[in-house]
Amino acid sequence: MRLSILFAVLAYLALAIETSIPYWVQTRVLIPNLIVILAVDLGLRHHGVIPALIAFAMGYATDAFSGSALGINAFLITAVYLLTYEISSRLLVTNAAVGATFVFVGVIVTSVGALVLGDGSAGFAAVGPMLTSFAANAAVSALVAPAVFRFVAILKRMVGLPVSLARE
Amino acid sequence: MKGTFLWRNRVLLSAGALLVISLHLLTTGLNRGDYAAAPALAMLEVMRPVQAAAAHLGDGACAIVHNYLDLVQVQQENTRLRAKIAQLETQQAEIAELKTENQHLGELLELHDALGLNAVAANVIGSDATGLSHTLILGQGSLSGLRPGMAVLSNLGVVGRIIDTSKHAARVLLIDDHNSALDGFDERSRARGIIAGVVDDGIIMKYVDRSEDLKPGDTIVTSGLDGIFPRGLLVGTVASVHREGPGLFLAVQVRPAVDFHALEQVLIVTQQTPSPPPDVRG
Repeated sequence: MRLSILFAVLAYLALAIETSIPYWVQTRVLIPNLIVILAVDLGLRHHGVIPALIAFAMGYATDAFSGSALGINAFLITAVYLLTYEISSRLLVTNAAVGATFVFVGVIVTSVGALVLGDGSAGFAAVGPMLTSFAANAAVSALVAPAVFRFVAILKRMVGLPVSLARE
Repeated sequence: MKGTFLWRNRVLLSAGALLVISLHLLTTGLNRGDYAAAPALAMLEVMRPVQAAAAHLGDGACAIVHNYLDLVQVQQENTRLRAKIAQLETQQAEIAELKTENQHLGELLELHDALGLNAVAANVIGSDATGLSHTLILGQGSLSGLRPGMAVLSNLGVVGRIIDTSKHAARVLLIDDHNSALDGFDERSRARGIIAGVVDDGIIMKYVDRSEDLKPGDTIVTSGLDGIFPRGLLVGTVASVHREGPGLFLAVQVRPAVDFHALEQVLIVTQQTPSPPPDVRG
């Protein structure tokens, strides 16, 4: 329950930032994808049905604030959570650098996925030209990710949630 | 429960189920007005105050930044325009100065042509250091052919004579100085006298016989008999004539034609003046 509330608040803040900052900063690629970072944090540290539901809810919330069809981001953020969970559970070491790598890949996956799922064949054609900006946004998100992980860890400690990496 | 297939694969199964639900939402083309889309609309409503506040803050911040940038730009523009105005004002003053100088030089040239004598134009670069005597300093000296004793004129009349010269400067004794004297006559009555300065500012005409018919407003010109000033140059006008009192001569006050304080350019006659015709009573 604490995890759900914490991530609900974090997702709320993340979406508030993501939807407000473009109002000030015109260069969209400079704004990190905080929802993906949160999904990666969930995938790295919280393995269970509730975290999966939280990831889905965060994706669904992203859909609510985007112009894409409902379900695209729900699908993609859940997929990022699942991928992070699957890979991290097989890694011996999962530090902040690994988390940042997950975030980098996750942002590219969600960006390309949203384009392809949303626009079909036209989306496929647009992936090539858009890939540079996706990579830039992914890099910015990856750079920000360790700080976000630390911030989330502090909040988790405050509410009494485990901070260490989840191991099966 | 723990250790069962479902427990071991709970993450995979639940995430898989959620992925399927997501794809279902996506493939069924859920409209935003549908029942299943209600949470999304509720989230929009929940987020609205934060977004409105952020937009408000953003507007404020943007306005402050834009206003600041505008202010900086305006300040820079203002500084640039002030510099430009100062430059233009300087140029305007220079043009006005050149115009005045040109006018003066043109008048001096006319005077030069009218005199038919060799003459040199010079700028006035200074005045008397003490104020006790009435002198001017010219920006031309002996290298320009100036010598002591030469007559100094302006387009309005007689100024004085050179008393000292250096290579590049010359000192002029003005006709209103108490050490100055020149020979002149009344143009109307032809009465002759010595025009001299007085200590308490002004010019008088000395040694004019009491029987002479001098009246205020008469024009006094040079006679040329002193060998310095060419004949017929305007000295001034008679300001007052006093016949009262003892003595052989009239007390004639002369108002100089030249404003010595406003002199900027003068003409120096470098050629010896021709001797005047003998039609002046003395």
